[in-house]
Amino acid sequence: MDVEARRIMALSISKLYSSRTQRGGLRLHRSLLLSMTMRAARDIYHAAVEQEQVVPCAPEEPMDTKEQDTVNDSLKEVNTREPKDNLEEDKENQDSKSRKRRVKTAIEPDFLPPKKARMDTDEERQEVLKPNNGNGCRQTETLTAFPTNRAIVAC
Amino acid sequence: MAGVGGGNDFQWCFSQVKGAIDEDVAEADIISTVEFNYSGELLATGDKGGRVVIFQREQESKNRSLSRGEYNVYSTFQSHEPEFDYLKSLEIEEKINKIRWLPQQNAAHFLLSTNDKTIKLWKISERDKRAEGYNLKDEDGRLRDPFRITSLRVPVLMPMDLMVEASPRRIFANAHTYHINSISVNSDYQTYLSADDLRINLWHLEITDRSFNIVDIKPANMEELTEVITAAECHPHQCNVFVYSSSKGTIRLCDMRAAALCDRHSKFFEEPEDPSSRSFFSEIISSISDVKFSHSGRYMMTRDYLSVKVWDLNMENRPVETYQVHEYLRSKLCSLYENDCIFDKFECCWNGSDSAIMTGSYNNFFRMFDRNTRRDITLEASRENSKPRAMLKPRKVCTGGKRKKDEISVDSLDFNKKILHTAWHPKENVIAVAATNNLYIFQDKMN
Repeated sequence: MDVEARRIMALSISKLYSSRTQRGGLRLHRSLLLSMTMRAARDIYHAAVEQEQVVPCAPEEPMDTKEQDTVNDSLKEVNTREPKDNLEEDKENQDSKSRKRRVKTAIEPDFLPPKKARMDTDEERQEVLKPNNGNGCRQTETLTAFPTNRAIVAC
Repeated sequence: MAGVGGGNDFQWCFSQVKGAIDEDVAEADIISTVEFNYSGELLATGDKGGRVVIFQREQESKNRSLSRGEYNVYSTFQSHEPEFDYLKSLEIEEKINKIRWLPQQNAAHFLLSTNDKTIKLWKISERDKRAEGYNLKDEDGRLRDPFRITSLRVPVLMPMDLMVEASPRRIFANAHTYHINSISVNSDYQTYLSADDLRINLWHLEITDRSFNIVDIKPANMEELTEVITAAECHPHQCNVFVYSSSKGTIRLCDMRAAALCDRHSKFFEEPEDPSSRSFFSEIISSISDVKFSHSGRYMMTRDYLSVKVWDLNMENRPVETYQVHEYLRSKLCSLYENDCIFDKFECCWNGSDSAIMTGSYNNFFRMFDRNTRRDITLEASRENSKPRAMLKPRKVCTGGKRKKDEISVDSLDFNKKILHTAWHPKENVIAVAATNNLYIFQDKMN
């Protein structure tokens, strides 16, 4: 179970990063699902690892209890600070178990790009809320980013 | 073989296929939306290249042939172009996410088409007459020398070859921060809604420089985001009611009379999760990819990754019907996550009388469920079955054990051949099925 969890975790992270370069920009829905899956896998993996350390022979915890947690840092994980730390931590755990020579570097796994700005910070700066016109409805935000004077040619 | 589609048994036959035969599929040619108009006379498709192709049904001939009128190309136009958001350094895809027709009110046809950010209202009109005999210009359009004009004449309308023109009448832009997933014309025929991942806006068809935000689920802190809007639709008869589905498998029905801001729902539809089927991918497969009201307005249908559910609007705690589309994939979710297929967004549709529903699957299979007889059928959109009026043979996926003849095993399914978009003629048993870059049209033999 923890092998599968680790695999899904790594898969999710690589998908999250490759989705940054996708045409059309980051897809919020997909990113959210990837983050949630990664978090669930990470929780399972950590629980399994911790249990093995405490009671090596004890059975694994059921998955249900872990997935009750609220996803309050799902998007932070796009930045992968947490998972990165965990991966390094995992390496150490693994190394201590397997007695392999410890890799004493802070080298990140190959598939992780350099740290970039967190998702959605740019968008918050750009929002321009129109003043309430008093009738109780919200008018939509207008983004002036797009050139609106494009010539539209009738076919 | 018995088909599905209503009281009598129907038999689905191949009618037409549109699109290139090449094995190499150009990305731009991949069909991304299919929609019949209100009468069924016109069938519109949108593709990843931002083009819209409209097919028109031929008038039926007096001598009744077995197959009804065929659909032929009526108009093709470039609806959306790729754009670039300079502030975010992001490209905006030209892919047409949705097309929705407006009801016909005069000789012209109108439709709404949308990509991720911009909605456009297109007018499709016919021109079969041309004015000839102008005073100030020649027949080829060049201006005449004024000194040579010695007499006046009235221009005369002469017949010409039919020309179908598409012109953008309205551009509804700059109102969506996130990617638009749905548009839906209201039953008042004056307004429509557009939905992105976090917000739903209400537009008036005549007004492009503003819209009203009626749903906003964006949290104050984006790190607290737990669900997004995946689809939205207006009620077919009650212009104050609309629904939207979420990535958590829930549907909210909102009444615009209750409040101007519909953040609080009037009804909340959710089926309790079965804890025994919980897995890493439970969240993903419960995400609703499509929601459609029945024509009657009494029911709505939702599609998640493995099933289609029919809900009675009067009962919120569970669906009244659940149909398994491809339950055999449940044990393959990890592989489907790996190859990204688990994120595929399948659509679903009702037939005209709401007695049957249809949705797509993999290997170019599509499924139909008869709500009355509870029979279901799996059919394939394939060029191998493309002789005119050839009857479609039901297909079956072998889920384990010995594979029978004509069955296909789960591991042999081609997950690149997916049918995400299907449409059912509003009045007749004619269906349009989009298989990657090809559009298949099937008809009932008795049609």
